[in-house]
Amino acid sequence: MVDVASLLIIYGVVVSAISFFAVFFMTPIAIKSLTAKGKVVPDAHKPNKPSVPRPAGPVLMAGIAAAEIVLYALTLNTAVLAVLLTTAIAFAIGYIDDNRVMPGWFKPVALLAAAIPLVVLGAHDNYLNLIFGSAFIPLLYIPLIFVIIPITGNTINSIDVLNGVASGFIIIATVPLLASIAIFGSDEVLFLAALPLLFAAIAFYKYHKFPSRIFPGDSGTLLLGAMYGALAIAGRSEIIGVIALLPAIMNSFLFLASVKRLVEHRQVKARPVTLLDDFKLVASEDRAAPATLVRLILADGPLGEKEIGYQIFKLAIFTALLAFASIAIQYIFWL
Amino acid sequence: MGLGSLALFVTGMWAMVLAVAAFLVAFVAPIGFYLFGSESSRATVSAVQATIAIVAVIALVFGLSRMKRIYLQKKLRL
Repeated sequence: MVDVASLLIIYGVVVSAISFFAVFFMTPIAIKSLTAKGKVVPDAHKPNKPSVPRPAGPVLMAGIAAAEIVLYALTLNTAVLAVLLTTAIAFAIGYIDDNRVMPGWFKPVALLAAAIPLVVLGAHDNYLNLIFGSAFIPLLYIPLIFVIIPITGNTINSIDVLNGVASGFIIIATVPLLASIAIFGSDEVLFLAALPLLFAAIAFYKYHKFPSRIFPGDSGTLLLGAMYGALAIAGRSEIIGVIALLPAIMNSFLFLASVKRLVEHRQVKARPVTLLDDFKLVASEDRAAPATLVRLILADGPLGEKEIGYQIFKLAIFTALLAFASIAIQYIFWL
Repeated sequence: MGLGSLALFVTGMWAMVLAVAAFLVAFVAPIGFYLFGSESSRATVSAVQATIAIVAVIALVFGLSRMKRIYLQKKLRL
């Protein structure tokens, strides 16, 4: 007879392995297939601007979906289904954006649809964990879901500016989120449902890190961000999730505050950074250029693309530590 | 300086998020008891709480915006 703890460990290993190996082995196939079809974009910050295949969203979606479907078949937990549907809708929105040039408002507005499964399938709680206690907000919680999913989806999308940053950032941010779900989540299955996000991102990072062999595209970044938001909601870890995501939120906030409207980065004429002859990046001195996280990092002097990525990861690790500090505070008030 | 000032900025954002969370838990959650006593209707209390919570979040965004402006002026001279 297998006890519950052993069963959870077995399920955890199974879903982690499925998501990791599916992405790990399917990505090289996708690289070849996309390259053969000519679905490539120039890597703008490198000598000769090499062509890099895009998008890897379908591979990430397949790996995560396979793991979540197995988890749902094993547990019949509707929250798993809600997280999977939210992720799939975000992926579909991103995939449209990968293949057609859509206006700036498209992604934030369309991502409202990705929040619907969480509400319809009742994956959320009526209590909002506020670190120092919780608030019973049955009515207010529903509009909050429609705010959180577009924000998390778009923040991960907007931080995908350099090789490996989006996947590396989501790996770091998911660690405190997993800890929070394990401690404060109402259901152990939600912790298992979060594992495919981490392991798919780890497998993908191998190909996405500097120098990238494939880009995630909007389909990849939106699905990672929306899944992160869905897990934070279903796992009762909303504020912890927001804290772990602070550098990405700051990046979006700085950009939106600069341009004062919803636009795609490609529509902004004044660039926040400039590429030097030695392929280092330097902060733009143009007052019309939007403020971004990368521009702030470069304010102290030019850096190479790889170094900037590491600086962002250092900041993400620092924020993850703040999220862990928040978990500790919440745990003290929770006892 | 480098990443230190950015880490400080993020810590400021974190402190503000915690301050708003503490305010909501300490003052907004029990507001029904303070304002209406035991005769409060759930809908009225929820509406008042929602209004205060939204105002608190807007205040947080304004606070962050001000912090951002000061930071950008120092860092990028914008």
